[in-house]
Amino acid sequence: MNVDLNRNIFQDTWFLTGFLLAAVFTITILVGPMLAPFDPWDMSFTPISPPCAKHLLGINDGGQDIFSELLFAIRNTVFFGLTSGLVALGVGVIIGLVAGWFGGLIDMILMRLADVLLAIPAIMILILTAALFRPSPFMLSLILAGLMWPTISKTIRAQTLAKRECLHVKAAARIGGGNWYIIRRHLMPEMFPLYLIGFASKTRMAMFMEASLAFLGLFDPTRKSLGLMIAYAVKYYYMDIWWNWLFPPILCLSLLIMTLTFLAISLEKILDPRLKSVELLSG
Amino acid sequence: MNVNSTHQISRRLGLILIFGLAALIMTYLSYSLPRLLPGDFVTAMYAGSDVTLTVDQEAELRAYYTEEAGFCNYLLKLVKLDWGYSYAFLTPVSALFLETFPWTLLLLGTAHIISISIGFIAGVEASWRQGTRLEKGIVGGMTLLEGIPEISTGVILLLIFALKLQWFPAAGAETAYAEVSFWVRVLDIGHHLALPLITLVLAYFPGNFLLARNSMMMIIKAPFITTARAKGLPDRRIRYAHAARNALLPLATRFGLRLAFMITGVLVVERIHSYPGLGTLLFNAIQARDLPVIQAVVLISSLMVLAIILALELVYKIIDPRIEYER
Amino acid sequence: MKNLKKILVCKFALLMMLTLLGTASFTAHAQVDEIRIADSKGDWGYPNAYRHYPRGPGYVRMSWVYDTLIWKDEKGYIPALAKSWTYDPKLLSFIFELNQGIKWHDGKAFSSSDVVFTVEYFKKHPYGWVPMGDVSGAKAVGPNKVIIKLNRPYAPFLAYVGGVMPILPKHIWQNINDPKKCNDSKCFIGTGPYKFIDFNKAKGTYLYEAFNNYYQGKPKAKRLIYIKAGKPLMTLSTGKADLANIKPDMANALKKKGMIILKNARGWNKKLMINHRIAPFSSKRFRQALACAINQQEIIDKAHRGFGYPASFGLLSPDHEFYNPDTPTYIPNPAKAMEILESLGYKKDAKGFYIKDSQPLKVQILSSNITVAGDSVADRDGEVIKQQFEAVGIRVDLVNLEQATTDAKVKKWDFNLAISGHGGLLGDARILNRMINPKATGSVNSARFGANKKLLKLLKEQVSEMDVEKRRAIVYKIQEIYADEVPAISLYYPASMAAYNPKKGIKWYYTHGGIGLGIPISQNKMSLIK
Repeated sequence: MNVDLNRNIFQDTWFLTGFLLAAVFTITILVGPMLAPFDPWDMSFTPISPPCAKHLLGINDGGQDIFSELLFAIRNTVFFGLTSGLVALGVGVIIGLVAGWFGGLIDMILMRLADVLLAIPAIMILILTAALFRPSPFMLSLILAGLMWPTISKTIRAQTLAKRECLHVKAAARIGGGNWYIIRRHLMPEMFPLYLIGFASKTRMAMFMEASLAFLGLFDPTRKSLGLMIAYAVKYYYMDIWWNWLFPPILCLSLLIMTLTFLAISLEKILDPRLKSVELLSG
Repeated sequence: MNVNSTHQISRRLGLILIFGLAALIMTYLSYSLPRLLPGDFVTAMYAGSDVTLTVDQEAELRAYYTEEAGFCNYLLKLVKLDWGYSYAFLTPVSALFLETFPWTLLLLGTAHIISISIGFIAGVEASWRQGTRLEKGIVGGMTLLEGIPEISTGVILLLIFALKLQWFPAAGAETAYAEVSFWVRVLDIGHHLALPLITLVLAYFPGNFLLARNSMMMIIKAPFITTARAKGLPDRRIRYAHAARNALLPLATRFGLRLAFMITGVLVVERIHSYPGLGTLLFNAIQARDLPVIQAVVLISSLMVLAIILALELVYKIIDPRIEYER
Repeated sequence: MKNLKKILVCKFALLMMLTLLGTASFTAHAQVDEIRIADSKGDWGYPNAYRHYPRGPGYVRMSWVYDTLIWKDEKGYIPALAKSWTYDPKLLSFIFELNQGIKWHDGKAFSSSDVVFTVEYFKKHPYGWVPMGDVSGAKAVGPNKVIIKLNRPYAPFLAYVGGVMPILPKHIWQNINDPKKCNDSKCFIGTGPYKFIDFNKAKGTYLYEAFNNYYQGKPKAKRLIYIKAGKPLMTLSTGKADLANIKPDMANALKKKGMIILKNARGWNKKLMINHRIAPFSSKRFRQALACAINQQEIIDKAHRGFGYPASFGLLSPDHEFYNPDTPTYIPNPAKAMEILESLGYKKDAKGFYIKDSQPLKVQILSSNITVAGDSVADRDGEVIKQQFEAVGIRVDLVNLEQATTDAKVKKWDFNLAISGHGGLLGDARILNRMINPKATGSVNSARFGANKKLLKLLKEQVSEMDVEKRRAIVYKIQEIYADEVPAISLYYPASMAAYNPKKGIKWYYTHGGIGLGIPISQNKMSLIK
């Protein structure tokens, strides 16, 4: 399976598109701050000016260069998404494996915990923490991860249950392989495709949440974010700002989310069509 | 057989019992979490207001708006279906809920029904026509759509169809207090519903479609379908009575998980289109520190999600007889 | 898709029909069918004294239903339930002659006993808008005359009681012990021009119906409707609303569409609250350095594209009759600010930021985003102020928390600096007491400043000075001291505007000194009467 992975995967248009987009975004994030022609917090330009040679996307209501703002915003949104996605994946995989392998009381407690977490409205928890502590975006991304892992662990658990019945796993258990040994050597590596898909889908969701929260005004307004740019631009809907101010963050946000969707869907298709991982995308 | 079914019943009872416990924990969380919010109703309502309270007045108001009865009392009241009084509106929370919930149900319910039913049928049909140019095109289009978040579609639809072309209203659920006949009112409500509904359908539909199609693709190859075909059963019957049944399960799961993010997800759409609903109710209540309303909305929405998760667990066996062990 | 198009066409045709019907059915002088007012927040509580939210829009929604003894129009006080009023210094009382033939919405006759009852009821069940501390009691002299006696001379009486106190019907409220809980429709019976019919809490809409027996004449519109709509340009130009608050840069577009634009006087200010109870903010010199570091015009230009006016450091608006033109002012001067800071012992570090005793000078600014209309919208004031302070050499930590959290922190003095705002600057000068008095513990807008004893004494004197010119002199002095002490920094007055559709034949205006206590909203009920 691993041998033809590389060959197969790049023949898939969706994966290729997603991969190229991801590459473009990675470059943007790495060199973005250097590319930015101006300091995005500098408010010294004429507010709401149309694009010109100096300011590719014009100036926003606060006298800031929109293009520079956009470069920083993409970075923030992506970092938020990646942190959240990674942590949710880590927690989700471990809990899913443990619940599925050990079963019984542990399984029951962990899965009901997952249900309770799924059932609490995320917005309330986020407002609550935003109000109680002064959370950095990093903290918020961790909290969001804490609310997102249940969908991953449910999928992983279901697969673990199936794998538990497989011959080689049973054999490993019979020759005296310890629980953790089996989890580490057999279960964890065999579900690798699921991790990629789960990671992509949770990162996607975290980016969407970040944009939504910023749009709702729950983030620090000086932190550049795609959602906040949209929120500010919508306020001036009656002016001629659609193409240069409102559209770019909407497009970037959509492209980011598309990138991850393409990667997740194509990975799923290529790596293991039996995994039904679109479920993961649903959360 | 007899032993087995007793075993099953006791398993199910156990499951329900455990969910009951989870529900109790949920009730405690929805009771205690909002109380952790800094500031209280009197501060939120009066501190920045045009009224300057004296120390006595403030103390009096605070006493009026604080219920220190404790969790047990809260639980007892809940059992009696007493949700308490909203601080901000000074009306029973239940009345407030009944006024708000229908709009959420209308928006979210319609969005889910449309995107699940059409997504399902389209997915099944697409899988049957796998490999044709049309199918490839549609799958491609849906994958693309799946990548566009609600914020983007919502804002774009609002700008183009409400603000630029002015075909649809930009805010509200209906023309307030219009003196019109029933049918005109229905049309008016539909007119207001259109944009938020399309936003949500565009967000949910592609995923449902892709999921239904992919599940079907796996099932089509299964031996029992080949057998059914060999028997010469009509195509449509194989498609829906045999194959598609099995594609329903992942859709149901997806629906359950979607619902978990209901309040948060719908809040964005409610804010963009100024549509009334539970999301806005909760958002405003949090801002005003209207504790009884926050508690009730959090509790009801989370219990609903728990109930759906439980129902899914119980239903799995019925939809998919192949599953021996509980999922 | 085809279906959708069909529905669309249907709806469009329907809409056209409705608009045609709506526009065809009135002429200039007859009663119009309905007036719709758009509001971006929507819900402001039920419209009676005990249940409306304690902010301007809540009071205005109540004012349609309940009349006061006197009222204000664009020029000043006008008769309402009382046709004349006088102050008798010997009796220490205000005497009101009431209009005759006034009916409550339920048909019962209004009389002086209702006024007496209301005064007593508000003393027993306080209503935040009408502080009763200086009122001793009321007495009816026959059915059409009321004497309200004071405890001590009280200059703001008309502004704070006579012109604000909604008169309640005795025959209903005398049996009500918990006024907040009354859900019955009878708790919304008043003498005002409109009857309250419905408040939809989910949609944030209100419906009122004309009270045709109103003693000042039949209202001009049969129904009055408040809708929740946040896009005023849209709502006005599509005819969904007849009146709405607008943003200044929408004015030209709306004028072209035939709307009339109203511009309010400067009655609402954005303000920087200072925690003067902790070092270094307890030092007057330090506060003055902050004032010098701030450039008001720059905030207006950068955060509001020039739509606003620099504020007076003496709190009262330049449009106020008691405004002191000689109030000390702080011309933006970074060099001066640095000079003061250095005289206080601060030294610049390598990066150009101030330190003292090896502690960096770092201030935290809480930013909350209140606007004139009362809703919360993100703006960039905090960002600009941060840059201005950092240009001088003060490190700034800009913190944006959710509104109620910020309020709770400011109330508990758990802050350094906080951005806040309030209105009432055009109303009676008693606003100075509310915004300076250290006893205003419940407010997050009040400076709560008690360090200057002379200031406190003058504040006490001004409210009991019944002679206008003498009072003016005291208020002048208060502004001078306040501006010198800078316990809080008034930043700017945002340009506040509304637009209305003149086709319905109704002329809206901003009330002189604001509605009631000074509410800067253009929805005066007299627009629909006279």
